[in-house]
Amino acid sequence: MPIQFILVIIIILAVLRLLYQLKNKNIGLSQFFMWLVIWLIAIVIIWQPKITTYLAALVGIGRGVDLAIYISIIVIFYLMFRLLIRIEKIEKDITKIVRSEALKNNKEHD
Amino acid sequence: MKTLVLIPAYNEGFKIGEVIEGVKATGFDVLVVDDGSIDQTAKISKASGADVLSHKINRGQGAAILTGLSYAKSNGYEIVVFFDADGQMQAQEIKKIIDPIASGEYDVVLGSRFLGSAKGIPLTKLFLLKLAILFTRLTTGLKLSDTHNGFQAWHISALDKINLTQDRQAYASELLAEIAENNIKYQEVPVTIKYTAYSKSKGQSIFNAFHIIFNLLIKR
Repeated sequence: MPIQFILVIIIILAVLRLLYQLKNKNIGLSQFFMWLVIWLIAIVIIWQPKITTYLAALVGIGRGVDLAIYISIIVIFYLMFRLLIRIEKIEKDITKIVRSEALKNNKEHD
Repeated sequence: MKTLVLIPAYNEGFKIGEVIEGVKATGFDVLVVDDGSIDQTAKISKASGADVLSHKINRGQGAAILTGLSYAKSNGYEIVVFFDADGQMQAQEIKKIIDPIASGEYDVVLGSRFLGSAKGIPLTKLFLLKLAILFTRLTTGLKLSDTHNGFQAWHISALDKINLTQDRQAYASELLAEIAENNIKYQEVPVTIKYTAYSKSKGQSIFNAFHIIFNLLIKR
């Protein structure tokens, strides 16, 4: 099916980008492997969609597609939660820097 | 007792000079924390005789208050009064608001516009405040006549007991929650808040109330 070729090409591009990020040290090795595994699983599922049906039946869900959607939503929520926490921490750090800078500048004027 | 009037300000150049002069006339020290204003707030404040700390970028009213508190602690102030930069509050009421602390009876004094008067308060604001009072009662158990009133006085020892985490507007609810949690002795004092066209344009938009509730529920 053409959709399989298109998706696989997109994933190959994503993996190339991932390699590039690793080479430029924008991501660490552990992060690289995490994403690599995710993309490899995606390729396997794209070529053998029946695997998901089998897995779904294992956990008691009717269709493979449903299982994929459930897992995706859980993963997305989790990532979003982590991002929110991260942003919050960064905001706090920025405030700390801005504050110490303001207090320091005042002392210099005295 | 050594008292500091702390005025957080964000783009208040239009009014702040007048406000500082009003406070100065009562004889108290004034600190303006300029929260990343892009107008002349810092310059006008200095010219009007206030000490000024400047945030390089806007971090929110809660963050500005905390910066001011840090200054107050390192400069040996015993009482800190929170005062607004937009001219809604009356400088001559500062003495009234610190009296219960100066006499040693209370650690915190909260201004109440509903014990005092809220001149020209818009109806939507009135409605929201009443809701907020209810919200405060439900979440903290404090039976207050007003809430989110920025006119407050704190003894420095009470400020040491509390932990503020909210950079933005939700800090106001956080202050009250901390009063309840730490059983800090507080008193409400009637104050006059005058709503003008300017202060209304600078004030909180109604939608911010949802934002504040979100911050308190999710981030605390």
